[in-house]
Amino acid sequence: MNLHLLPPEIEKAHGDFAGHLEACADLDAVMRLKGAYLGRDGSFAARMIDILKAAPKEQKRELGAAINALKNKWEESLKARQSALEELRRQRAAQAQSWDATLPPPLPPRGALHPLTRLIDRLVGIFRPLGYHVEEGPEAETEAHNFDGLNIPEDHPARGSADTFYFKDHPKMLLRTHTSPVQVRVLKRLAPVIEQKGGVRFLAPGRVYRKDEIDPTHSPMFHQVEGMLVGRGIGMHHLKGTLDYAIKALFGPDAATRFRPSYFPFVEPGCEVDARCPLCGGAGCRVCKGAGWVEILGAGLVHPDVLKFAGIDSDTWSGFAFGMGIERIAMMVSQTPDLRLFFENDQRFLAAMGGLD
Amino acid sequence: MRIELGALQSEIPAIAGMELKTLCERLAMIGFPVDAVETQNGVTVLEVDVTANRGDALSHRGLARDLAAAMGAPLAPLPSVPSAEGEALLPVRLEADACPIYATAMLKIDNSRANQTPESAAAFLAAMGSNAKGMAAVDASNELLHRYGHPTHAFDADKIKGGVCVRWAKKGETLLTLDGVNRVLDTKDMVIADDSGPIALAGVIGGDSTKVVESTKRVFLESAYFDPRTVRAAARRHGVQTDASSRFGRGADIAFARAARDIYADRLVSWAGAELLASWTIGQCKQRDMEPPGAFLSKKILDRIAGEPIQLDEAKSILISLGCLVESNDDELIVRPPSWRHDLRIAEDYSEEILRIRGYDKIGATLPPMTGAPEPQPLSYQQRRVLSRRLTQLGFYQTVTLGFTSPDIDAKYADTPPEGRTLVNPLGIEYSVMRASILPSLFDAAEVNLRHGAKDVRLFEIAPVYESSLDGPDETSALAMVWAGTIGGEDPLTPARSVIVADLIAVARDLGFTGDADIIEPGQGLFGLEIPLSAFSGIEEVIPAFKPFSRYPMATRDISLLVPLNLSYGVLEASVRSALGSAPLLSVKCVDVFKDNKLTAEGKQAWLVRMRFQSFDRTLTGGEVESWVQAAITAAKQHGGVLRG
Repeated sequence: MNLHLLPPEIEKAHGDFAGHLEACADLDAVMRLKGAYLGRDGSFAARMIDILKAAPKEQKRELGAAINALKNKWEESLKARQSALEELRRQRAAQAQSWDATLPPPLPPRGALHPLTRLIDRLVGIFRPLGYHVEEGPEAETEAHNFDGLNIPEDHPARGSADTFYFKDHPKMLLRTHTSPVQVRVLKRLAPVIEQKGGVRFLAPGRVYRKDEIDPTHSPMFHQVEGMLVGRGIGMHHLKGTLDYAIKALFGPDAATRFRPSYFPFVEPGCEVDARCPLCGGAGCRVCKGAGWVEILGAGLVHPDVLKFAGIDSDTWSGFAFGMGIERIAMMVSQTPDLRLFFENDQRFLAAMGGLD
Repeated sequence: MRIELGALQSEIPAIAGMELKTLCERLAMIGFPVDAVETQNGVTVLEVDVTANRGDALSHRGLARDLAAAMGAPLAPLPSVPSAEGEALLPVRLEADACPIYATAMLKIDNSRANQTPESAAAFLAAMGSNAKGMAAVDASNELLHRYGHPTHAFDADKIKGGVCVRWAKKGETLLTLDGVNRVLDTKDMVIADDSGPIALAGVIGGDSTKVVESTKRVFLESAYFDPRTVRAAARRHGVQTDASSRFGRGADIAFARAARDIYADRLVSWAGAELLASWTIGQCKQRDMEPPGAFLSKKILDRIAGEPIQLDEAKSILISLGCLVESNDDELIVRPPSWRHDLRIAEDYSEEILRIRGYDKIGATLPPMTGAPEPQPLSYQQRRVLSRRLTQLGFYQTVTLGFTSPDIDAKYADTPPEGRTLVNPLGIEYSVMRASILPSLFDAAEVNLRHGAKDVRLFEIAPVYESSLDGPDETSALAMVWAGTIGGEDPLTPARSVIVADLIAVARDLGFTGDADIIEPGQGLFGLEIPLSAFSGIEEVIPAFKPFSRYPMATRDISLLVPLNLSYGVLEASVRSALGSAPLLSVKCVDVFKDNKLTAEGKQAWLVRMRFQSFDRTLTGGEVESWVQAAITAAKQHGGVLRG
């Protein structure tokens, strides 16, 4: 471009143009710059038209070409800048509307079932395919259901006020010390219709009370799940088959069980059932105290006196029963160091140990 | 029970070479799990768990007896000691039938000999957790108890006034026992008495007045059999459990009373150079106690319990190895227990013995056949499951709190007096009443969570609550919920705000509760609501009946009303509904409430009320919808409501 015919101020304006254009942050600024350089009045372009008009005839051609070239240059540059800014605006608008996926999204609130409920529900689910339903009984029980009906002798130490909570105004009532009174309740209800029903099988989960001070391994209230099956010709092999299935369902297909003779007044024969330590696999660890086995539950064949107490003929009918401490198993599988954590209800514990299932 | 390995081996030599772990397994598999093993200075002690029915196994000999049966190995012979029944040197009378036999002996002690107990016996006692006293009469009794399981006692014969009588205590009699307690006796207590009164509580604890001391010159030994019930009752009545009472209380071996006396006397002779003056026995092992009626164990019952056929010959030889007397018929055994077993009574008891000695691991495993139809889960269980799951989805954490409360807290929440729900023997006053409401426990838990820095605390529990009634504590189930703190503010889209009453009402409505939501506000931004489970509708088990819905367009109209500040929305809505009785009104609800300082100062507020109309059979016209809107505005006017400009 030949600018020598134009005055120095135009030359300077052109020299400054690129800088001004670069400094335009938005479309308004571009429009203002356009006005200043190419506007109808007072712009550099208007000035150049005046200069052209005033120029000697022989210069007009050359000067006109130079002015047009300059105006075209400015116009093109302004257009380019304008579309660049428009594109930037579109981009920003799109950015502003889009959600940065790395930001925290609005999560729906999340609570949790208590870990003890989860374990109980798991057991209910494990026994459901075998035809077991849930039975319930009150926590404030009668001595007859809690002890008499379960063949627990009148002078058994567990009946003492050192072990069992009794009600002041109702001396024959107590807080059940196990879920076994549900056995008595169900059997009594079953007795008149046992022939039609052909027996019964149920789980009785619930809270029980014993007079223990609160410490890392004891609580005056804890949970048990009782199980019972009554039918014809029921033997120890049925108990073993059932518990073997349940423990494998709970701890996995490789879980092994061990049945040891033991004693509970309401079963005969009686046994305790150990599972191969789910933590060390039997090698011996802190949880199983080196034995490789952990006690899971007590069980046995229903004592004929229990059936008789409920009015069921023990020559025709037989059955088995088992009961397990939920906290014990929960502590074992989760390695929770202190029983009290289950009753403190700290949301951090509940969130980590509970679930939505 | 503590078992010293060497002493056990000397009762059953076959285990001498057995690895300790194998022995522990073996014991566990016959019903005696080993809780702990400790070895100190070459002495190994097993902590063996013995069930309450097996008093006979509370000794080295007793445990060895079961091991011997299980292993088919012989027991070591009992020490061969001289036994001669002689003249009574002191008159002894048995007046209580709870003591059928009383074997005794009189010995002269050389009281100049200090430390009469041999080192080996002292070490054995140390392993049992007790210190040897150095007096043979005391230490030998203790040693015999742990080794053979039969409790014995020695009296200072020169302190006995006149003769000895085993009788029931008389009203008002007292006895200063060896533990220094002066006990007022009950007429159901069996005592050993001399002419001055009781000198021992039979089978439980000796008396102070006749105790053997270092200067004792003559001892009067006691090796008797005391009825288990009587001993248990006395021990419980007097709150004293001793090694003797725990063994007599579970049933001692009546046939061993004399032998124990003989071994005891022999210990005193060989340990301390005592001189046996005479041994004599009052009473006898009665026929009844030696041979209770036999139990019939049929092959049918045994096979049913075992789950497989078991030959009666095998069963018989196992029972004989355990000391039972067994006669056989064609298809049954008639079994009598040995004198030391008090837990064998019925066929099932003997079946257990047979399976136990064969090994429970030999029993097969099979699922019982299905009989009858499975029963459905009870509605209460399903209801709890549905409510719990919904609440966890709404962000609530399920808690487990204790069912007890204090009388003070109870008074704030209960409708019935606490007496009928109060425990006789609580852990403390704060745990003495069965709670009428779960809420106080949940408020406590919520406060603890807030203190620990939780921002949004949502807790619930479904548990029993109690009311007092004439028949006893009346137990029902309730759902309690507590919400406290701040909601939101933890992501860019959810602004933070404090929890308010409405939040908990919304949860109650979401759960299907339609009654009055009586929100409890104990302060500190805590909100609680407790609802009896009976207030929730049942669980729909199948798909409910089809309800038709309109396919014509819906008309939605909002009206903004200026209403008095004290007007209840429910009242207005009821009026609007009533005014629009004939209109196809789908819904009416207040979707916004506006209150600012200016309106409040005028005693006003603004409600945006949204109405939706829809017909089942046609498209509604603008005119008719407008007429219904006008009707609604007219209804609002009755309550001071005007259309907001």
